[in-house]
Amino acid sequence: MYVHVPFCERVCPYCDFAVIAARPLTRELEDRFVAGLLVELERRAPAFDGRRLASLYFGGGTPSLLHPESVERVVEAVHRAFPASPEAAVEITLEVNPSTLERSRLPDFRSAGVARVSVGVQSFQDPVLKRLGRAHGAAEAHRTLAACRDAGFPSLSLDLIYAAPGQSAGDLERDLAEVTSFAPEHVSAYELSVEAGTPFALARERGQLELPAEDVALAMARNLEERLAAAGIQRYEISSYARPGCEAVHNTRYWRRRPVLGIGPSAVSTDPPVSDQTPFGSRRRNLPAVVPWLEGIESGSAAEASPPEVFDAATARGEAVFLALRELRGLDAGRFAGEFGAPPRQFFAAEIDELRADGLVDEDADGSLRLTRPGRQLADTVFVRFV
Amino acid sequence: MTDPSRIRNFCIVAHIDHGKSTLADRLLDATQSISKREKRAQFLDNMDLERERGITIKAQTVRMSYVASDGERYILNLIDTPGHVDFSYEVSRALHACEGAILVVDAAQGIEAQTLANAYLAVDAGLEIIPIVNKIDLPSADPDRVAVEIEDVIGLDAADVLSVSAKEGDGIPELLEAIIGRIPPPKGDREAPTRALVFDAWFDSYVGAAMLVRVVDGSLTRGARICMMAHGTERDIQELHVVDPFPRKVEALRAGEVGVVIAGVKTLAEVFVGDTLCLAGKNLPERLPGFLEAKPMVFTGLYPVSSEDFEALKTALVKLKLNDSSLSYEPETSAALGFGFRCGFLGFLHSEIIQERLEREYDLDLITTAPTVRYRVVMPGGEAFEIESPASLPSAGEYDHIEEPMILATIHTPDDYLGPVLALCQDRHGTQRDMMHHGSRVQVRYELPLAEVVLDFHDRIKSVTRGYGSFDYEFIDYRRADLVKLDVLVNGESIDALSLIVHREKAHGHGTILVRKLKEFIPRQMYEVVLQAAIGARVVARTTVKALRKNVTAKCYGGDISRKRKLLEKQKAGKRRMKKVGSVEIPQEAFLAALKLDDS
Repeated sequence: MYVHVPFCERVCPYCDFAVIAARPLTRELEDRFVAGLLVELERRAPAFDGRRLASLYFGGGTPSLLHPESVERVVEAVHRAFPASPEAAVEITLEVNPSTLERSRLPDFRSAGVARVSVGVQSFQDPVLKRLGRAHGAAEAHRTLAACRDAGFPSLSLDLIYAAPGQSAGDLERDLAEVTSFAPEHVSAYELSVEAGTPFALARERGQLELPAEDVALAMARNLEERLAAAGIQRYEISSYARPGCEAVHNTRYWRRRPVLGIGPSAVSTDPPVSDQTPFGSRRRNLPAVVPWLEGIESGSAAEASPPEVFDAATARGEAVFLALRELRGLDAGRFAGEFGAPPRQFFAAEIDELRADGLVDEDADGSLRLTRPGRQLADTVFVRFV
Repeated sequence: MTDPSRIRNFCIVAHIDHGKSTLADRLLDATQSISKREKRAQFLDNMDLERERGITIKAQTVRMSYVASDGERYILNLIDTPGHVDFSYEVSRALHACEGAILVVDAAQGIEAQTLANAYLAVDAGLEIIPIVNKIDLPSADPDRVAVEIEDVIGLDAADVLSVSAKEGDGIPELLEAIIGRIPPPKGDREAPTRALVFDAWFDSYVGAAMLVRVVDGSLTRGARICMMAHGTERDIQELHVVDPFPRKVEALRAGEVGVVIAGVKTLAEVFVGDTLCLAGKNLPERLPGFLEAKPMVFTGLYPVSSEDFEALKTALVKLKLNDSSLSYEPETSAALGFGFRCGFLGFLHSEIIQERLEREYDLDLITTAPTVRYRVVMPGGEAFEIESPASLPSAGEYDHIEEPMILATIHTPDDYLGPVLALCQDRHGTQRDMMHHGSRVQVRYELPLAEVVLDFHDRIKSVTRGYGSFDYEFIDYRRADLVKLDVLVNGESIDALSLIVHREKAHGHGTILVRKLKEFIPRQMYEVVLQAAIGARVVARTTVKALRKNVTAKCYGGDISRKRKLLEKQKAGKRRMKKVGSVEIPQEAFLAALKLDDS
């Protein structure tokens, strides 16, 4: 399950998620918002009837702006709605920003049932953080990470951004030294992407955004992978690194195209297949703005932005391939055949042959597929062949 | 039967946008030729495309009935003429169907290049000219100044210039009286052997080709057997029409009259504008003077982006050709682009109109190669042949020399912009023929290679004169020139569709800009792409498109999956529109990179 909390104290200039910062999150709005989440959960749970809960992820926005008791109410409601998976403990993650306010709430978040925190550090270099428009500095990041350990979260994930404006290879090197010294269970390291419509996109158009050259960015990516591996944190997806066994349960569900129930404004759900109506599942997207979403939920009318997207077999196959190839373990031919009736080669023989010839994809004897090392840098070039 | 003394045949000539179509509408109103209900703006322009571009592609004529102040009823045949430089031969044929011309000049803008070109054509055709200053309702109108300009430049008495606002209807009654009073009635001899001038033709999907004719001598009657003298084809007249303003069947058309002849001619290709119709028999009369077959001047290769569309493109060209005999096309094969057509056009505007119609009306995705002209290749033995495509040029050494078509360009500009105009003409290998100053305006005439003007010369004139300059041209002859074929190589493979014929001294500069432009259009690919421009085996310019090293979306979670998939789908659709040459994907636009050579 995914819960979207769209509130932020400020909006970062590279962010294109559904967030609001214009108004402070008052207690009144928070209570109304949480009540809305609970109503939506109740409304949508039947579509996921009979399923067990594998993960619950509070993302945003800045979900740690919620009071711990709000998080607790949602956690309890979700537990009531779905039985826990027997295989492993339910992964309950909360995204946290390095700030004083949130730090003070960490022990209570832990008590509310949150076991994993994902801290939006982005960088440990103040000049880089400043250019990224972040509110916090390196010192705050240190304090927050320490507070997370003190609060007893068993799993700590840390977000990094690299190839940021003005960032040098040395800046990243220093970041990596800090990261390894904190020994997190998980790291997400994203190359900065300039999304259309963001202030960064505007600055780039005006020639005011100085991003590291391609060679530098490629070297940074290599260094990241090597340094983290040396510290026992292995790359397992294009931007994800973890100690063995600490891979993110929640994100992995997306890459394996498993059903996810999303609640909150702009949240997206991938509903499980309904045999004769939607044999390959469907996707729903909620209204993006807080008030229209709330009003939709409260009045019992539509809170969704558009009619659900119902997948046909070809679209579902394309998604299944490009999502699975994001993981280093790649696309499992057996699992793919289980869903689509035949291994990938049956549908994509020409594409697979060309990509193999170009050295971008490896194919196992059973038909499983995986990106090669050069393929990982050209992943979108590969993915285009399958959609 | 109307006595010839009560017929007036005239046309309206003007520079583009000086208000010709509006004036035609106003004359139709004033003679009640068209009821309000039937009316639509600019009645004479019947294709949407013409309306959008504000020009008239096919001429139409309309017959009006008018009771003049002398109490007599007159027949007025208004002959509409095409209004763009590419169609000057068609204009001249239409003028030969008239005895008079209304010369429209914009009261604010004054005389422009086409005003003058058309006025000269009308004088050459022996027409009585009624000059009018139009748009006198505009705040910036200066009819007195323009009248003086007309006297100075064209030599028509300023006192004879009428002031009109076609938009408001002012001056229209005076104009109608001037048409009756000043334009002579047709002179033809109704007893002489029949001769009729074909001055326009179009395709009608019911009857086939329809010919618009002016009967010069004798008469045409329904059922008569006629001979189309250009090729000696004989046909029986099935129908005769006058258009007032909708077609109406008549039994005969007599000397001085204008009408439509339907004679079982299946396609427009069999009809030649400027041809003479006479009665079939042993003793044919002498042909009317001035006949020329419309000859394409500009050629481009048109290729469907996806090869399955070849048949659809062929069908579309066949249909367009039915109504446009000046369009020519022949199948052509390109190693790079596959099967397509080499198409001939009267000029660059004509080619743009056809391409637009193919894409819009027939929903085709096309790759167009850079336009070229028809070169004459002279072999060592002295025999010569013409080529319409750089690909058909023999290797250097096999031929003696190449000749290129030359034009005489007439350019009008305010004298402030004379310097840049002269510089542009020099840069395009022009030779100045003469220059005339009148007031603050200058007319210069240059001899220029047609190849140097087909593409963007008109736009460049507009741009260096801030829109105040204008341009017209006529073909002169073929002249020897030092020309070479510039080939483009992608990863060492010559792309025939990108070859150009250029002046030797410009080859290096062109080649450098061309490969640089191509580099902008060709996306980075898996492997490095080497782009070269070469004359024969000699490489004159080289650049590379570096290999793609990084193409990966960092984040992909729940909220984005559909969005990311759609982005990938869009990229895939973009790839589908590219032509794969060897292992290199070349987008459609790259084939037009040669068009942008002047942006350097």
